[in-house]
Amino acid sequence: MELWLPLAAAVPLVAGALTPAIARRHPGLARPWALAVAAWVLAAAVQLTRRVVLEGPFSYPLGGWARPYGIELRFDEFSAVAVVIAMVAGLVLVYSGPYMRLALRATRLPWYYSLLLINLGGLVGFVTTGDLFNLFVFMEIVSVSSYALVAVAGGRIAPLAAFKYLMAGAVSSALILFCIGVLHALTGTLNMADIAARLATAEAPAPILLALAGLTAGLLVKSALFPMHAWLPDAHASAPSPVSAMLSALVVKVGVFGLLRVYPMFAAVDVVRLAPMYEILAWLGALSIVAGALLALFQQDIKLMLAYSTISNIGYIVLGIGLANELGMTGAGIHIANHAIIKATLFLAAGAIIHQTGRRTLHALRGVGHVMPWTCLALAVGVFSIVGLPPTVGFPGKWYLALGALEAGRPGFAVVLLAGAVLIFVYYIRILNAFYFRSPSEVGMLSVREAPVAMLLPVLVLAALCLAGGLLGRWPAMLIGPAIARLPGGG
Amino acid sequence: MDVIDLRILLAPAISFGCAVLIFLLGARARWRRVLALGAAVTKFIVILSLLPGSLAGKVYVFEVLEFLPGVGISFRADALGMFFALVSSTLWVLTTVYAIGYMKGRHARVRFFGFFALCVSTTVGIAFAENLLTLFLFYEMLTICTYPLVVHDETPEALRAGRKYLAYTLLGGAALLLGMILVQSLAGTLSFSHAGVLPAEAGSGALLATFVTLIGGFGVKAAIMPLHGWLPAAMVAPTPVSALLHAVAVVKAGVFGILRVVHNIFGVDLLAQLGYASWLAWVAAFTIVAASLIALAQDNLKRRLAYSTISQLSYIVLGAALLTPFAALAAVVHIANQAFAKITMFFVAGAIERSTGKTQVHQLAGIGRTMPWTMAAFTIAALSFIGVPLFAGFVTKWYLSLGALQAGAWWFVLLMILSALLNAAYWLPIVYLAWFRTPAAESAPIHEAEALLLVPTLVAAAYVLLLGISMQVSWLPFSLAQAAVRFVAGL
Amino acid sequence: MVGLWLNIDYAAFVALFCIGLYVVLAKQNLIKKLLGLNIMETAVFAFIVTSGMVDFGAAPIISDDTTGPFASPLPHALILTGIVVALSITALALSLIVEIYRRCGTIEADELKGVE
Repeated sequence: MELWLPLAAAVPLVAGALTPAIARRHPGLARPWALAVAAWVLAAAVQLTRRVVLEGPFSYPLGGWARPYGIELRFDEFSAVAVVIAMVAGLVLVYSGPYMRLALRATRLPWYYSLLLINLGGLVGFVTTGDLFNLFVFMEIVSVSSYALVAVAGGRIAPLAAFKYLMAGAVSSALILFCIGVLHALTGTLNMADIAARLATAEAPAPILLALAGLTAGLLVKSALFPMHAWLPDAHASAPSPVSAMLSALVVKVGVFGLLRVYPMFAAVDVVRLAPMYEILAWLGALSIVAGALLALFQQDIKLMLAYSTISNIGYIVLGIGLANELGMTGAGIHIANHAIIKATLFLAAGAIIHQTGRRTLHALRGVGHVMPWTCLALAVGVFSIVGLPPTVGFPGKWYLALGALEAGRPGFAVVLLAGAVLIFVYYIRILNAFYFRSPSEVGMLSVREAPVAMLLPVLVLAALCLAGGLLGRWPAMLIGPAIARLPGGG
Repeated sequence: MDVIDLRILLAPAISFGCAVLIFLLGARARWRRVLALGAAVTKFIVILSLLPGSLAGKVYVFEVLEFLPGVGISFRADALGMFFALVSSTLWVLTTVYAIGYMKGRHARVRFFGFFALCVSTTVGIAFAENLLTLFLFYEMLTICTYPLVVHDETPEALRAGRKYLAYTLLGGAALLLGMILVQSLAGTLSFSHAGVLPAEAGSGALLATFVTLIGGFGVKAAIMPLHGWLPAAMVAPTPVSALLHAVAVVKAGVFGILRVVHNIFGVDLLAQLGYASWLAWVAAFTIVAASLIALAQDNLKRRLAYSTISQLSYIVLGAALLTPFAALAAVVHIANQAFAKITMFFVAGAIERSTGKTQVHQLAGIGRTMPWTMAAFTIAALSFIGVPLFAGFVTKWYLSLGALQAGAWWFVLLMILSALLNAAYWLPIVYLAWFRTPAAESAPIHEAEALLLVPTLVAAAYVLLLGISMQVSWLPFSLAQAAVRFVAGL
Repeated sequence: MVGLWLNIDYAAFVALFCIGLYVVLAKQNLIKKLLGLNIMETAVFAFIVTSGMVDFGAAPIISDDTTGPFASPLPHALILTGIVVALSITALALSLIVEIYRRCGTIEADELKGVE
């Protein structure tokens, strides 16, 4: 039916708002309610993806107001990432059961699930809109719910980490809103396709350049690209593990996905060339790859290690966009979804280990591979995936990116890519080494038990997806092909 | 003729399935032994059943999955791959028997036998790889699966050796990946073919980079100097591991890769045109001599064997680098000759260590009197390495010299003679010590090695004799090697 | 609608934006940082509303005796949404500051660095 598209975002938002009311008498109702909603969103996303594969991109004008008067929702091949979003969110919800029961008072649980649902709704809405201001609104919904989720439970510095995150996010949002205002002043419309058409005939280069630069800067801060990454490690590491998974896998992608949505608006403009922008993106991406990997090397806390590796992987995606050719952008596009699966696996598995043992540092977690074999197996699969070994899901992205670098005549970037992978492997080997081949340094390790089923099952499902996604790696690449061709530089 | 046959998928799948079963059920010793032996024998039979077809010129193919557009995982058993697979599976049977005896009473046997089976699975995967991607996939899996075996004892020394092993092999893997991407970029395909895939028109810079990265990547496992540093350190592993993996599977995967690169990616004609192969030949020659000289100075028996391995592997590399049919024949044949002879020696070293606790050469005085059968096997292997006619090593040296003359590089014949002398210099003293010197007074009586250790040793030694005298009999390895060369050289 | 880009209004709001940014970066007290953020957001809202200004335009409300030109109402809608977002962020930030004070005893950023 026509309404799948608007409902896909609206349902989780409304359901999230209703959750505290529904679960008032029985806090235990919140989780099944949230799970049901997430399952529905997954079904909607699959349905929508099927339609875009058969028909091509389609849109839905909200309230019947055609563009440019109304807000237009638009589903194209990139929006198919909503499937991954819904899947990860659903698995995180399953996982949250045992985890948050320990971390939060029972009366506060409904608020947690409410925030998660709103986050999910915001993410789905973000990827399915064709209106620039609507994009901003959903971006803010995602961001604000994320700020709150970081602080909802967790240790001493969680509120501080959330505050730093909030500051960085709000400042960049203000900048983005400013640039949206500039674009609106220039063109008189907020619909992205219309802006693209009208900007082509605009004469004044300075404001357009300002808007482009400002949008890029704001979105890059949101995606934690080096050197604007300072807010990420603490936020992702001090959040509760299911939240860390949502943040590193999905929320941080809002920035780079925004770049993919925003750049086509400037494609037809004569007075402003995109090439220097792409150049900057490529260099910053390469810098991020190396810096993220190097910074991770010096961490002892597992979750900090994973957070820095997120920065490194965002670098890959930005490098891919900056290469400005079909192969590079395909690599970036599929890595957005692939990295989501990998990072979710890693954070949920690491979280399960921390949950069962109460320890977070490598030194204290020695020998855990023997007492939690299934969780650590999933973690090992995640490790191989993030390094990019075939046939895991981390390989296709790196493959396309390296080929794209060579095609663009920049073999140096290909070397940087691979160097980043080697560096990443070095510190992940430390993790596997400590888990499997060192004898326990803490007496309590021997009595640790495997994670509860509700936590173990999502971890194993995600690990299986890491392998399956890798083996079926060509489907996502083929899926987003038409969308890549429509990007400036991608055709 | 290309024939689709499920058996080449079965071969790696059997040991993979066996590994999984060992991990799940292996706590009972009897299950473990039955599984390990049963899988070894079944795999050997499956591969053996493919032999008649291979000798008749059939090539077996099986495409598993198209992984990325244009690039897939698929298997192709041509004569060269069959040769390698046959050698590995034969030796796996022998080593499994040996390992059951050797590992009695040792810890973590489930992990040992499980990863052992995985390693052989990946080795057969490498042998049957149809393209560079499949080869790379199994090559990296081999690295990962051998790591737990290298650090099996979990002592600080073992962990250090493991780290070194990983450092070398991972860097090699990164170089390989870069080379693979270059091939894809230049040739548009990764499949091996008769005459090579790379176009001669590609810039010489790109071709040189491809050559260096591919040979360097494979060269780490093939222990070409100066990339050999991991091999002596990895001798800290239990003897069955050293025997199969570091004398046969891991190092042979490296030289196999070099053979594939020289013949099926570059092609003999292109390399002759470019002139890179002569550099490789000199590097190999250097390794042959230098490693032998270092071996002379080693007192620890296993380290002497390690350096001898490094030296012998470069025979194969030299054979590939000389680019002539006879040299290629020598290279292929030496895969088997060196494997059987070296494994005999490692078996002997392990048996001596288990019976007497002795690890140094100078301790071996008179041991021929108390362990006659074991030392007889050692003597046969030693004579083979020295190149005495009627033993396997002579066949290699003969054809390598013929190949050198065919290439107009008569100085390599001198190299053969020099190498034979050096081999004599470090093997004959051991033989002399063992048989002709009286032992120092012993605190405990020394027995001959137990049956489980002795029988594989004798079988391997018998094979060394067989390989030396059976050149013209069909159905035996030499004719398969000839078939392999016919395939790779397009004769 | 697109006035001269050297328009004094726009320049003033850009300056205000930069002042707000300076406050966020330079001040140590968390509440002052939050104030700086609000200044930034206010600057953006003012900018957007001003961009809808039309010379001699009337308020965009239709009644019986109105004739054009009207000022554009779209920016007004935009900033209303923006104000709501800014409001929720401010509320969240304030509650976070309360929590930080409860746990760490200070709300000065330089002192908090030592706490981590």
